[in-house]
Amino acid sequence: MRQVLASLWFALHSAGQNFRRNLGVSLAGVFTMGLIIFLVGGSLLFTHSVDTVLQGQEQNASHLKIYLSDNASLAAITNFESRLKHDPRVISVTFETKDQAQQQASQNPSIKSALAVLGSNPLPASLNLDVRKLTYLSQFNAEAKAMPIVDSTTPTDYNSDVIGKLNTVITVIEWVGAIIAIILLTISIVIIMNTIRTAVYSRRTEIEIMKLVGATDWFVRWPFILEGMLGGLLAAIFSGAVVFGAYRLFVQAAQGNLLSVPFDTRYTITLLIVLLVGGVAVGAFGSFLGVRRFLSA
Amino acid sequence: MSVAVAERSAAPPQHALRPVISFHGVSKVYPNGTEALRDVDLAIHQGDFCFLVGPSGAGKSTLVRLLIRDEAPSTGRIFIDGQEVSRMSHRKLPKLRRKFGIVFQDYKLLTRRTVAQNVAFALQVTRPGQRHMREKVEEVLWIVGLEDKLDKFPDELSGGEQQRVAIARALVHRPRIFLADEPTGNLDPDTSWGIVQLLLQINHRGTTVLMATHNREVVDLVRRRVIAIDNGRVVRDEAEGSYLREGTATL
Repeated sequence: MRQVLASLWFALHSAGQNFRRNLGVSLAGVFTMGLIIFLVGGSLLFTHSVDTVLQGQEQNASHLKIYLSDNASLAAITNFESRLKHDPRVISVTFETKDQAQQQASQNPSIKSALAVLGSNPLPASLNLDVRKLTYLSQFNAEAKAMPIVDSTTPTDYNSDVIGKLNTVITVIEWVGAIIAIILLTISIVIIMNTIRTAVYSRRTEIEIMKLVGATDWFVRWPFILEGMLGGLLAAIFSGAVVFGAYRLFVQAAQGNLLSVPFDTRYTITLLIVLLVGGVAVGAFGSFLGVRRFLSA
Repeated sequence: MSVAVAERSAAPPQHALRPVISFHGVSKVYPNGTEALRDVDLAIHQGDFCFLVGPSGAGKSTLVRLLIRDEAPSTGRIFIDGQEVSRMSHRKLPKLRRKFGIVFQDYKLLTRRTVAQNVAFALQVTRPGQRHMREKVEEVLWIVGLEDKLDKFPDELSGGEQQRVAIARALVHRPRIFLADEPTGNLDPDTSWGIVQLLLQINHRGTTVLMATHNREVVDLVRRRVIAIDNGRVVRDEAEGSYLREGTATL
């Protein structure tokens, strides 16, 4: 027990002492890790914000009006409505009568006057759908066309161009986010490993002496791993604070520009915890790899 | 020589039946094809003092590296204290290395630690939590004659004093075997002689000493066992030898 405590004390003491004594190299490491953690955290928050905005847009766009033929019987319409209500892809269905359609359209003064000129109501009744995903819209559009109760000239208000473009934008942003995250992660591991290897290299004599007097590999490793963890923790605290501040500013600026980006507290807290744990883990792993080549003999 | 020759051990070393170091047909070929050692057979007993002599590149340092298993032999077997080390697993090396005290030509001191901290480092690493560490460090620094330099940093010391610190660090855990690889290589003759006297004292206390050296004067003055290596082979092994073969200019 005494030995274990003494080893632990030695490792902690050496880690702190080495960090202070090699402050230049240590701070360079912390700065590099901090910059990468900031980039990773920043890109994750940015992707999340864009995703939130797009999800809002997607929900707004996930409407479909299925226009009903004037000859359709009420029974057939009710039957179709009930089938849609039980479809798992559908969030809600509402029935809009010809009169309701007229009332709705009459809110626009020019349409109101046009309707007055016509004397009769040419607007069809419709079933208004809210679906869970944009991609379902084209499926319902196709299904509606095949229904005899649906208006054959204008079956739905489906606009494949707009929907297709929105879909493409969402897919592209998701892919770009994933690719940026992978690139940053790869770069970070390579940079951190080399930074720590430089720090370890400057202390090769110490490692050599430890090995010569008969230190075990883990005894040699622990001070370096703890030092890496300390560096990772400091880097994560600083860059986490910067990411947090930048996110608040971004949300405020976005709201000033009529773009509604909500401040997602839960996501932010989770992200900060992930950055802290990730920083400590990457620091420890980088040190483990950095010190490995000096322990091979 | 300004310093008197160290007192020789009154009684000859008591050889145990089993040598503390033994080499059986050991060869070492490096991956680039260099044959550093060829078919070496050796037996060194507890309490021996041996000089390992030979020109640069003869294989002296390779022999030292094989002893502490910094390198593995290509063929042959090496035993330390009856334990075969030639095929020893990486995990067991720390325990093997604790049997040795090792010093090198370049001292290998930690410049940002004081003399006492450099010596204590060896104990902290090998025996963490050991009681009376300070006393042990002071005792060993007294043996090497640096009891008044405990709080100095290596840069504040002369070359000879730095080598004494390295010797103290190698001694503090009471090793069975003391290896010195060119310990006087960077020192002037007087200082070198002081270091050799210290090694003789260490040997007098019962520790086996193996010293690889180029220093002809020292070897010729001390007249102890000489193992001459040339071109990777042991060419001479004399109980009380000189640097060169008696009456010749060759090893």
